[in-house]
Amino acid sequence: MMQTTIGRRGALLGAAAAFSSFAIGGRAFSQTTPVVFGALPPLTGAGGPYGPAMLRAAQGVVEAANSAGGIKGRQIRLAFEDDQTNPDAGVRGARKLIDVDRVQALMGTWASSVTTAVAPLCWENRVPLFTVSGADSITLLPHQGHIFRTQPNSRLQIETASKWLLGKGAKRVFHMAAQSPFAQSSQDVMTATLGAAGGAVSGYIVYERDKTAFRSEVDTIMKSNSDTVMLNGYLPDVTILLRELYRAGFDGRRFTFAYAAPASVFGTLPNEVTNGLTTFQPSPDLNSPAFTRLKAAFGSTEVDPYSAQVHDHATMAILAAAQGGDATGSVIRDNVRKICQGDGEKVDNVTDGLRLIAAGRAVNFEGASGPCEFDERGDIRGTKFRYEIAEGGAYRVLELV
Amino acid sequence: MDAYLIAMLVFAGFYALMALGLNVIWGLTGMVNLGLVGFFALGAYASALLTTKLFWPMPLGWAAGAVVAAAAGAVMALIVARLRGDYLAIVTLGFAEVIRLTASNEIWLTNGTDGISGIPGPWRGDVSPPEFNLIYLGIVWTAVAVVFVLLARLSHSPFGRVLRAIREDEDVAAVAGKPVLWFKVRAFTIGAAVLGGAGALYAHYNAYIAPDGFAPLLTIYIVLALTAGGVGAMRGAIIGALFVIALLESTRFLSAIIPGVSPVQKAALREGAIALSLILLLRFRPQGLIPEKTRTKAFP
Repeated sequence: MMQTTIGRRGALLGAAAAFSSFAIGGRAFSQTTPVVFGALPPLTGAGGPYGPAMLRAAQGVVEAANSAGGIKGRQIRLAFEDDQTNPDAGVRGARKLIDVDRVQALMGTWASSVTTAVAPLCWENRVPLFTVSGADSITLLPHQGHIFRTQPNSRLQIETASKWLLGKGAKRVFHMAAQSPFAQSSQDVMTATLGAAGGAVSGYIVYERDKTAFRSEVDTIMKSNSDTVMLNGYLPDVTILLRELYRAGFDGRRFTFAYAAPASVFGTLPNEVTNGLTTFQPSPDLNSPAFTRLKAAFGSTEVDPYSAQVHDHATMAILAAAQGGDATGSVIRDNVRKICQGDGEKVDNVTDGLRLIAAGRAVNFEGASGPCEFDERGDIRGTKFRYEIAEGGAYRVLELV
Repeated sequence: MDAYLIAMLVFAGFYALMALGLNVIWGLTGMVNLGLVGFFALGAYASALLTTKLFWPMPLGWAAGAVVAAAAGAVMALIVARLRGDYLAIVTLGFAEVIRLTASNEIWLTNGTDGISGIPGPWRGDVSPPEFNLIYLGIVWTAVAVVFVLLARLSHSPFGRVLRAIREDEDVAAVAGKPVLWFKVRAFTIGAAVLGGAGALYAHYNAYIAPDGFAPLLTIYIVLALTAGGVGAMRGAIIGALFVIALLESTRFLSAIIPGVSPVQKAALREGAIALSLILLLRFRPQGLIPEKTRTKAFP
């Protein structure tokens, strides 16, 4: 009796497997070989608030390119998988994209640990990887030119922010850092930058990011006599910290990364708690035509820096393939710098870019996230930074420099 | 497609090894161990550090991974000797988190949350990526086969019968003159060694490890694999691991063919489908796909 039960199960399982492989086969061979690009954003897990918009930005670019005739007449398909904000799941997702979908470029990895785990697969299979992860170590990997990072690394971000704070008269800055790859390097950069201009880091606490209460930490901040607290964390913990700082009556400047306090924070915290909160971010070029167009396409959804960057990832991959005349990973890798830096004609969208390249003209893509120029390690150069202040449940731009 | 299937079989091999290790501790001896990812991490870090910093040869690194995890397992078994059931589950879960947090914070040793990259793999770089996958497939499933045969022998030996007696009723085993603690320590050590060995193999396959990779999610997958396969039966552990990987990966393709849902809904559906299948399995076949046969022969 037991034997037959197992047999039936086995048969069902086998049938399901056969069915799914049939479905896969159909997908792989049904069209006249479209060019396939892969997106690996975090749709669930800690990156869940950002992944969906990132994917949508890439899909928008692919649609625009397809209606403009694709890459030399070949249509483009965007395959995607959820990296679950977990390196193990990310590697399995990347395997599927590279081995089954045969993607020629991978874009939109968010968490630094996922990017680092996926990177070896990319360079071994000659697939360029476009990422928004900030950890300094990523572009130091032996990636043979396969990594393009549109996010300024954390060193540059913290240095820029520290200088801005000094300019606003900050003298004693308390550094609250969630445990992350850049906690310690942030601390080193802050100490050096502030110290060189007569300021100081008045205290430094690294906390576990899953904590739900910060009583003793907030007490330490209050005792430290700081004029500014730098909240170097993520949305869940920064939300709690803001509430507890308000309760404790902290009257200094609260300064944080924009990703740690996106507009959704106004839904969870009352205005009196958020008023005066200053955020900064490597800014999409808010006044650029590319950003304006992306904003119009997104409608009521806010365009965060990550979706702006992934918009540019997709555009660069498509234009590089068109420029190289062949949509393979190596060609894309070798042509990215040709289409986004140099003396070519400035373009801000994939349609114009494809048209000019088809006409044999040189192009210089300037994206929604900025001018998109890379140094020899694959790090972005010349990003703008935007500072905003929370007032009555909305952000007001203070400066874009 | 081939390369992908091979890579997933390699992953299934890691999961099978972990399920086998857990089966000795939980399945045979009845000690709930939700800290298995901690031993897995210890093995991974031990081998990764020894091969990248001290340039040990890889097989020695793998062995060292197993030994380090085994030592931790022995100490752990002594500490938790008097705990059972839920209490044991909580303590072991805490152990895994301690390992993960230590790896995040002891930056001088583990490079913190940046993780360790560039871990060597056998002939990696000299052969093409598909060949490397095949080589690793051979290594991992050879390891699974060896561990399976050894553990199946063990589980059918007098030693295994004592472990089962302890699982069913510790006091009776003690009354029968069996040194319960000593048996528990040995079972925990053997199980932890297998988990550590699996971690070491995993590190050299992925070339990169970071504390994020050793989150409790992995523990849950393995516990599910063992539950699905059949707690106590060594064959069940392997079938269960294959089942969990098949479930995790096939839902990718199934969710892709459902029309009219957004990517986020697909991702959520996928996680929902995995949870639902396991709930259904536990509801309708709680003994697992291959139930344990308690009246055993001397050979598997």
